[in-house]
Amino acid sequence: MASVVRVEPSDDRGRLPAQFPAWIPIVIFIAPAFILYAGFTLFPVLKTIYNSLHVMKPHNAVEFVGLGNYGALLTHDDVFWKAVKNTAIFALFGTVFDVACGLLLALLLFAKIPLARFWKIVWFSPVLISYVVVGIIWVWVYDYDWGFVNTGLRLVGLGSLEHAWLGDPHTALWAVLATQVWKWAGFNMIVFLAALYALPEDVLGAAELDHCGWLAKLFYIILPMLRPTVVSLLVLSFVGKMMVFDVVWIMTRGGPLWSTETVSTYVYKRAFDWNTFDLGYPSAIAVLWFAMILAFVALLIGLLRQRDKMEY
Amino acid sequence: MRNAVIPVKKTLLLLLVVVCSIATGGPFLWVAALSLRTTPEILDHPYSFPLHPHFDKFVRAWTHSNYGLYFWNSTLVVVAAVVIVTLLGAMAAHGLVRYPFRGNRAVRFLILSGMMLPPQMLILSLFQIMFNVGLYNTLGGLVLVYVATQLPMTIYILESFFAHIPQDLFDAAKLDGYADFEIFWRIALPIGMPAVFTTGLLNFIMLWNEFLYAVVLLTDNSKRTLPLGIMFFMGGHQIDVGMVATGLMIAILPVLLLYACFSETMIKGMTAGAVR
Repeated sequence: MASVVRVEPSDDRGRLPAQFPAWIPIVIFIAPAFILYAGFTLFPVLKTIYNSLHVMKPHNAVEFVGLGNYGALLTHDDVFWKAVKNTAIFALFGTVFDVACGLLLALLLFAKIPLARFWKIVWFSPVLISYVVVGIIWVWVYDYDWGFVNTGLRLVGLGSLEHAWLGDPHTALWAVLATQVWKWAGFNMIVFLAALYALPEDVLGAAELDHCGWLAKLFYIILPMLRPTVVSLLVLSFVGKMMVFDVVWIMTRGGPLWSTETVSTYVYKRAFDWNTFDLGYPSAIAVLWFAMILAFVALLIGLLRQRDKMEY
Repeated sequence: MRNAVIPVKKTLLLLLVVVCSIATGGPFLWVAALSLRTTPEILDHPYSFPLHPHFDKFVRAWTHSNYGLYFWNSTLVVVAAVVIVTLLGAMAAHGLVRYPFRGNRAVRFLILSGMMLPPQMLILSLFQIMFNVGLYNTLGGLVLVYVATQLPMTIYILESFFAHIPQDLFDAAKLDGYADFEIFWRIALPIGMPAVFTTGLLNFIMLWNEFLYAVVLLTDNSKRTLPLGIMFFMGGHQIDVGMVATGLMIAILPVLLLYACFSETMIKGMTAGAVR
């Protein structure tokens, strides 16, 4: 950074106007960012792809195995497939719930409730909070003895339903999913709200004149007009959830019994928790998974090609 | 009949609003209450109001439980990264918008495609690379990684803002004999200030909350950022709920403070730039 600041020629205005070759300012402006980006982002990506074709042994021994890692991954790695299944469930249901809750919140604000601006700020706040904080709060919310969920159930006389929500393999994934929806619904709400306010008012007014009920108005007028927003939010949310790591790692570490293991947490475990020192195999998982995400995005964009696409 | 229906609908609507607000705001208030109470009190009555608030818990967390150190590490890393990424990002965005050189589109595509890269594609080899160049387990190394990973989004937002500044302004400045960097420093940057500020806020929040890169690239207790510190504390003291809650509040407060001052900017920025 310091070298960049020194370039500032604040005292020589008029003396050297554009007498350098034209490429010099271009390099000065773009090179620092590009070099840093290339060194710490592009290069590691290429290195990950390279690593995925190798097996790394202790003492810096590296052995080329071609697509061997990928073969092993696809044919005899049960945990990987469990992780794929969990991630798919998480991405699919998480996306739907996220977008649906966001839409509900946005419609509430759009219905001209009192103090709407204040509620908007409150409902958006979870988006800004770290997953470490959110995850720990929700681990407490699910606590068997004094967590909010079980306490609430006992309070209303449904004590028989109390449950170790994060401890039971059948409920753990859904419990984590609920936390994730809680955090991100507000994000979708804001995007929906902007889209709602951009709707042509005369159409909504005409519907009101025709005594169109609010449910009919929602399903026949508002939702069809929001379609581009819904589509881009679905894609955005789905892609984000295919890579989910933080919330799972913080709340369950993939347990119990791999019931919340996602592809990302599995990659992390294979690389850093198993003490195998082999970065090749987890790299293969990461590359394969990234390729699947890209393929999926390409497919979706192809299917839903239209003017109001996502802002990628 | 119409009149009779409306209050019912209105009441239902307001009920829904109250439920949503309790659902989103409730957990924060709960943690705020927990952070002022001791663990024995909490285990006795998890949901009572802090009748005898223990403000000294914050002092103890800060000094005895290392939260002060974690907070300082986080501040150092995040502020350095935000300053660098904003400056480099603004320069690159300006360069990409104002200089239609050969290869401009290729460079732009390469950089912006970084917004779609999952961290998992980087983190494994980044660990290896940082280790080899001696940046593993250093705060400076983490700053560089943060800058690199936040650059695409920063450039994306700034570029679309800079592109709206009329070219005439730059042509006029050039005629007046302003040098290239001066044009950036005196014209593009001041006019682009709102967008620069938004990206700065956005990057601050995202990096303040960042977990994955930090957990992979830092190991020393003395170098942990706040999220890592809290996780570490949580692991080591599973039972000390009260102290963990105090730590959570220490992590939330700066964000809430910023949010209270700049809520609209942050809401707009998050939804404009957070492609994740």
